[in-house]
Amino acid sequence: MSAIAALRRPGRRAGSRLRRPLRDPLRDPMPAAKPIRPGEVEETIAVASSAFTVIAVICAWMLLQLLVLGGLSAQRSQDLLYGEFRKELAAGTAPTGALDYQGKPLEPGSPVALLSIPQLDLEQVVVDGTASGDLRAGPGHLRSTPLPGQAGVSVVMGRASSYGAPFRDLDRLAPGDAITVRNAEGEVTYQVRSVRRAGDPVPTAPTGSGGLLTLVSAEGSGALSALRPGQVLYVDAVTEKALPAGPVAAAVPASERVMARDTSALPVLVLLLAGVLALVLAVSTARRRFPAPLVWVLATPLAIALAWSATDEVARLLPNLM
Amino acid sequence: MRRGAVRALVALGLVAGSLTFFSAGTATPAAVAATGGGWSQTKKLTRDYYVNSRTVEDPADPSAPPTVVGDQASDSRTVTVRVDKHTDLQSRERIHVTWSGAHPSGGRAANPFGEKGLSQEYPVLLLECRGVDDPSLPAARQIRPSTCWTSTAAQRTLSQSASVASWVHDAAASDADRAHVSGIDPDKVPADCPVADSETYHITPFEGADGKFYAGCNANNMPPQAAAGTADPPNETAAFTALDGTGSADFEVRTSTENEALGCSHTVACTLVVIPIMGISCDAPGGFCNETGNYLPGSTNDGSVGPAEAVSPALWWSPSNWDNRFSVPLDFAQPPNTCSLLGQGDPVPFYGSELMSQAALQWAPAYCLNRSRFNWQANSMPDEAAFTLMKTGGAAAAQISGRQDGDRGIGYAPTAVTGWGIGFVVDKPGNAGEQQSLRLNARLIAKLLTESYPGSPTGAKRPGLGDNPLSINLDPEFEALNPGLDTDHFSEAASTLLALNTSAQLVVQLTSYLQTDPDARAFLNGKADPWGMTVNPAYKKIQLPVDTWPLLDTWFPQKTGNGCLDANPGPYLPKIAAPVSNLRLISIALLLGWPNVNTLCDYDPSANIYKIGRIAQQGIGQRFMLGIVSLSDAQRYGIRVASLQAAKGAYVAGDNAGMRSAVGLMDRVGTSRTSKREDLSLRPYDLDQAKVRRSRTAYPGTMAVYTAAKTYGLDKTTARHVGQFISVSLTEGQKPGRGNGQLPAGYLPIVDSGPTKKLYDAALAVRRAVLAQKPPAAATPTSPSTTPTSTGGTTTGPSTAAPGNAPTSAAPPGAAPASRQPGSGSVATAAAKTAPVSSSLGSGLLPLLLLGGLAAGLVASVSRLLLRVRGVR
Repeated sequence: MSAIAALRRPGRRAGSRLRRPLRDPLRDPMPAAKPIRPGEVEETIAVASSAFTVIAVICAWMLLQLLVLGGLSAQRSQDLLYGEFRKELAAGTAPTGALDYQGKPLEPGSPVALLSIPQLDLEQVVVDGTASGDLRAGPGHLRSTPLPGQAGVSVVMGRASSYGAPFRDLDRLAPGDAITVRNAEGEVTYQVRSVRRAGDPVPTAPTGSGGLLTLVSAEGSGALSALRPGQVLYVDAVTEKALPAGPVAAAVPASERVMARDTSALPVLVLLLAGVLALVLAVSTARRRFPAPLVWVLATPLAIALAWSATDEVARLLPNLM
Repeated sequence: MRRGAVRALVALGLVAGSLTFFSAGTATPAAVAATGGGWSQTKKLTRDYYVNSRTVEDPADPSAPPTVVGDQASDSRTVTVRVDKHTDLQSRERIHVTWSGAHPSGGRAANPFGEKGLSQEYPVLLLECRGVDDPSLPAARQIRPSTCWTSTAAQRTLSQSASVASWVHDAAASDADRAHVSGIDPDKVPADCPVADSETYHITPFEGADGKFYAGCNANNMPPQAAAGTADPPNETAAFTALDGTGSADFEVRTSTENEALGCSHTVACTLVVIPIMGISCDAPGGFCNETGNYLPGSTNDGSVGPAEAVSPALWWSPSNWDNRFSVPLDFAQPPNTCSLLGQGDPVPFYGSELMSQAALQWAPAYCLNRSRFNWQANSMPDEAAFTLMKTGGAAAAQISGRQDGDRGIGYAPTAVTGWGIGFVVDKPGNAGEQQSLRLNARLIAKLLTESYPGSPTGAKRPGLGDNPLSINLDPEFEALNPGLDTDHFSEAASTLLALNTSAQLVVQLTSYLQTDPDARAFLNGKADPWGMTVNPAYKKIQLPVDTWPLLDTWFPQKTGNGCLDANPGPYLPKIAAPVSNLRLISIALLLGWPNVNTLCDYDPSANIYKIGRIAQQGIGQRFMLGIVSLSDAQRYGIRVASLQAAKGAYVAGDNAGMRSAVGLMDRVGTSRTSKREDLSLRPYDLDQAKVRRSRTAYPGTMAVYTAAKTYGLDKTTARHVGQFISVSLTEGQKPGRGNGQLPAGYLPIVDSGPTKKLYDAALAVRRAVLAQKPPAAATPTSPSTTPTSTGGTTTGPSTAAPGNAPTSAAPPGAAPASRQPGSGSVATAAAKTAPVSSSLGSGLLPLLLLGGLAAGLVASVSRLLLRVRGVR
């Protein structure tokens, strides 16, 4: 009885300082909720509460997207890309450079190689392009370098903390570890030469049929370092027998460089946010006419979809090696 | 004492060894050494024969058969033969033979080469024979008619009825020469050469270099190199002597590479045999032996009557003629594959300009056979690709003719000064010989390159070309500059310039020459020339200069009536232009007088298809062909080069004087735009065509070839090799000559004085920089590389940007502090350090979201709690 009474009187807490005297629950049943009148302190508090709730939801959703949902999406992309790449390898139409098998420039996001690092238990399909959006699907190949496995210096970038974080453990590689790359023309095994950070000497470019594969990612330091990839990290791996280099793109736009952001995501983001706004308005209008559960059942999937797309686009505005 | 003897022996051995290696440089002694490596000899030649032959009857014995009597006559001439070069010969090199005092020729043939030259009288026959003309040598090494090359059996074998055969009456003939079948052992006559009793035969067999015996009596018994329709037309010549007894011919010498059966090489001695045909001396009056010719001296063979056998070149083997021979010893240089066979150590290839190829032929043996030098190898490659290869470490140095992008820290050492020219082979009309000089200006070259001459009435149907002259010899502008040539006949070969279809610095300079000429530029923009000729509409307003000349005309002729063109529809004018991939092909085409015009109609009845092929060689006397050649190839193959217009009205030949004057106009590239920090001493020189336009003596086609190498980033051995190459090529390599290590003709020597002094000093400065291998001073702070830049391969397909820029150019260093371009340095260096790249967003966002979310959630729940407490909802 006392527990139920305590429930019925939500205002009653031990140690709370209230202006009004404590009510007797037996004599004074719970009053109806007082509506908020404009100008009162309660209004500010209500608004603040809603605002902070929204902020908390957004923060939580962003974290969820980057750390969990992004991983799911990256895994799905990897599966699809693997299937596509297998088909291309079998048909002999896999790209050998910046051009596809028909001679047209390769679309960013197309699979170009399979990267496998047994030491880290890593098996990823490398896509073409290193913009933030491309790296959401997995490690990306810098388009102004030859493909991984080809002679020359080949650069592959990957995310370190979000969207599956394929390159989160790159700093665990030691000299001598094997990295295997499979591309359209064959399989090449590299040996890791060193892990390189700012201030370390840049290795010389290989000549003849030698190849150098540079994996680029980011790392953090200090507390919560796994969530703070701010410093760029390089891993250089060499091979003596690389495949001959194919056509290479001239120069990549600014959004595909190391730690670059892709501001071309803004227009899409604006559209999606407009969609979110429209959904909110629709929900609030519908709630007046239709029963709440129905509205929520209909609105929730839409809300989740729009929120997912919006945060996916926001991820494109973030540095590509995050 | 023993030690002294050992030392002496060792020294002797070294001397002998070095002599065998450098023996190519020593010339065999000439009969009479002429100046500058030539050869000459004078001989008195006599023909003893009978005139006024008549039959008389013996009055004392009327039944006896009448005898033939005649008066003795003698034709004596002092003939001098001169050859301009006969040592250190390369394959296909053309040597110039001149003579004086010979018997004037008659019945001139249009084509004096091979079999076609047989129907002349009193020519001078030039043959290449294996062996040495020295009676003291064993018989197997001496020349004899059976080691002399002729391309057909008709030049070796004669059969006549017994009364007509004149060689059996040769006064100098032995009994064996008068036999029924002479010249060959009768047992060796093969079955498919039937011998009849009623005819007298002379068969000259051919002994191949490998010892194989060819009877030479018909086409089946000739060496395989003599097969009909082989790629190589005959080089044996029956040349014409003018009325004053003088004459000249250009003889192409062939080595075992071109003619394996003859087998001449630097180890197998050969001889150029020059036989001025005087006619055979006769032992008895009457008969066909004493003939003096059916044609007047100086006349042309019109086919009305055959030449008199006794005075024709068909009897060259007959002792009277054979004993009159002049034997020019031919001494060949080391073949091009010497270094791959005998070179020490791995070859160190330098890639670049084809203009170096003749110098490389003479320089390479001086490197690879010398133990103190490295095994230098020169390979042809377009300038841009060679430069990229050198920059990425694939080659020690690049030999290019112009400055390339992204050359920070690269030094250009001048190595050779040569150039390009418009080579020509043009015959004067009426069998008057070969045209020796030609004058061309930029507008004429523009007309040739832009396919503006239709070439034939088929081409004249192309819209826009209807009013143009069909070929250049019908163009009044050309006729004004070069009077006295054929102005009646058009030809497709005379409507084009055989050019390159690949990228070359040469094309850049040629198109700059066109661009800076106001008449040529106006013509290309569409303005008609003073005689009404207009440019091909496909080329109108073309932007110049370019590095590859494009073929832009795509007009198809329809319903021409020519079966081949109708069955194989395609653009017509590009078939006439038909450019090739390198300069050597153009030189050989000019040498053989064989245009690369692909409009020959060939019908294959078995497959019932029409095929289009290359037209036939032009007949001697009707040749007209133009092509772009390098000046060194022109000197080697004896190709004449046209004089080009520099200032208005001044036509300059492509000789050393013209090149020297052009070098005086050369200036360093980038002097106006270079920043002060850049090291100017490493930059190449450039010939500004606008300056040539103001000079009366500078040759527009002058080009310098530079050895471009890195001045930092090279390993020690490579730097030493490059330094050695620069110093050797600057000293030993600039001495004119034909021996190993010397500078061939067609190159201007770079010396320490005169206009070439600046090139000499530049080469020494670059050599110092290459040997020092120091990083450039105070690099601009924005560009340390974060990843090594290079490609390791050339861009093969079209890239998303302009081709050729891709591999080495990197975007400028990033402006935003959070993003930096990887590989923003222009040259990969081992000394570069990884630049720090960091992102504040990356290091701060996620924790911010986490903490911020938690904080916001806390505040939200606290405020909600507050509201509940206050009784609100």
